[in-house]
Amino acid sequence: MEARGHLDAYAFEQPSGQRLRTLRLLARKKVAMLAIAWLTIFYLAAVFAPLVAPHDPGQQTLSVEARLQGPSGTHLLGTDGLGRDLLSRVIYAARTTTLFTLVVLVTGGLFLGLGLGLLSGYRGGWVDASIMRVGEVLAGLPTLLLMLAISAAFRSRINDAAFWLKDNTFLGDEARSLMYFLLIVGVAVPFAWVGSARIVRSQVLAIREQEYVLAAEALGASTWRLLLRHMLPGVMPIFLVGLSAGMAGIAGTEMALSWLGLGVDPSMPSFGALLNAAASVPLFRDYPHLLLSAGIPVVLFFFAWNLLGDALVDLAEPRTRGR
Amino acid sequence: MGQGLAGYLIRRLLWAVPVLIAVSMLVFLVLRFAPGDPVDTLLGNRYDEELASRLRAKYGYDQPVHIQYVKYLQNLLRGDLGVSTKYADFTVAEVVVPKIRVSAGIGAMAVALVFALGIPVGIFAALRRGSSLDPLTIGSWLLLSAVPVFVAAPFAIWLFVLTLGWGNLVYEGVLHPNIILPLFLLALPGVADVARLMRASIIQVSGEDYIRTARAKGLRERTVVVRHITRNALLPMITAVGLSLPGIFTGALFIELFFGIPGIAREALNAVRAPDFDVVLALVLFGSVLFVLANIVIDVAYGFIDPRVRVGVARGGGT
Repeated sequence: MEARGHLDAYAFEQPSGQRLRTLRLLARKKVAMLAIAWLTIFYLAAVFAPLVAPHDPGQQTLSVEARLQGPSGTHLLGTDGLGRDLLSRVIYAARTTTLFTLVVLVTGGLFLGLGLGLLSGYRGGWVDASIMRVGEVLAGLPTLLLMLAISAAFRSRINDAAFWLKDNTFLGDEARSLMYFLLIVGVAVPFAWVGSARIVRSQVLAIREQEYVLAAEALGASTWRLLLRHMLPGVMPIFLVGLSAGMAGIAGTEMALSWLGLGVDPSMPSFGALLNAAASVPLFRDYPHLLLSAGIPVVLFFFAWNLLGDALVDLAEPRTRGR
Repeated sequence: MGQGLAGYLIRRLLWAVPVLIAVSMLVFLVLRFAPGDPVDTLLGNRYDEELASRLRAKYGYDQPVHIQYVKYLQNLLRGDLGVSTKYADFTVAEVVVPKIRVSAGIGAMAVALVFALGIPVGIFAALRRGSSLDPLTIGSWLLLSAVPVFVAAPFAIWLFVLTLGWGNLVYEGVLHPNIILPLFLLALPGVADVARLMRASIIQVSGEDYIRTARAKGLRERTVVVRHITRNALLPMITAVGLSLPGIFTGALFIELFFGIPGIAREALNAVRAPDFDVVLALVLFGSVLFVLANIVIDVAYGFIDPRVRVGVARGGGT
């Protein structure tokens, strides 16, 4: 018993020490800190959108003077074609992005990616082969095209279901946006797990030959105990790095689908829809604030995730360090 | 090697068949799940019961789904992709093929451009390793690649077309100068990846013994870099073709919309929205075949280039 306690402590100690070192190294990178700062602002604004947003994002003012205003004191980023406050819409769009990435990360990345990766690496054999084959297939397909086809096909069915939910449950008017949201989550998740499952699997393959795992195995630890207590802490750092590298892609999926009109419900502000509303030439020629108000936060968001993901990969793989 | 490669190729191609069948089955089922059927779409306002039932019988839409699917596969094997319901009186092939030609031309040029930009950038960065120019070069391209195409495109149109007055937004064929801007926008996201791979490849090759030998022979630095390092570093770059392909495929969707290019991606979006069943199926299958084949070609090419990873031998030799 004594011995096992010792081994467990070892299994925990190593990764957490590494994590601290990683954080310290990260703090030394100025660009990474800027990226973290912007992402913090982005996500805080998203979480506290109802408090931060100066206006109701859906409130329309259909007079000529109120529509397509440039930035001013009352509307810091101006208004859109229906006289809605753009800053509020941008903040609520950040909320949509955040919600979507969170849900997809938890279901696709954490649940499927980590779970299937652990299973695949630990079990091996036909389980491993079939999981990895399915992943290979999914990774080798024109993803966006498939997502579009599936999303479009289910859309009208979803509409019917939303009307039913609206009349028969407490959801009311929220039913439709919820159903559309769930639809694009469902469309994105099957393609979202492959990357992290691969990373986790290769890490598990490396860890399972380590002495402390073999020792725990020899002491008769159960499969669950082995996976959760011994493998997971070792897998976690590199898994999180993999997730951070995938964040931009997941957010981009939602924006792309919404831009094409097959994403979230139009009543839900989204960067895709905001940018699409600014996409016609006469509009962004005469009213550049439409494009810039949504475009700049989006570009900074992608910059930040790419920089951060890169910095983390750099730190996680010391071999490629030393630029 | 020869036999091993042939065996490997056959295995990979055979594996592609169930993949494509699975994809077609999935999309087929998903499309049939949508309410209404192609005949409703086809007739639209001219809907009348008798005509509709005749057409349903003709295309087999009155049959259960699995029989429809088998029928679709049978037709597919005979090279018949079905009929478009959106463009009445046109077969899918007539709708799709001219658009594939346009997109393939533009896509090929975009891939070439990705490499034409990425390789020099990678070499430049690798040669300045250790100075701040290296991370700065790669970093700035990384930032450029982070700009989503639906932000980059309107901005580029505003800057180059509206402000600087270069060309216009009319599509005038694949070889007209108007295509330059969309090409660059398509290529942009891929450049950083290629540059990074090239940089890593150069750095790896620079450490090889034969480079030291070349320097020790007293060759000029320029000759060493061009003839010995770059030439050998270029070989692994072929795998990057596969890397840049999905980005170009995705980017094409938006670029074709922004620039009015009558290509496959725009058609795919229209077909998905209509919905034009057989056209969607044909396009998804076409895209999947393209991706699967590209992956096979890349794996094989990589084996040719670097004997250490030559698949046939490695598998045959036992590990």
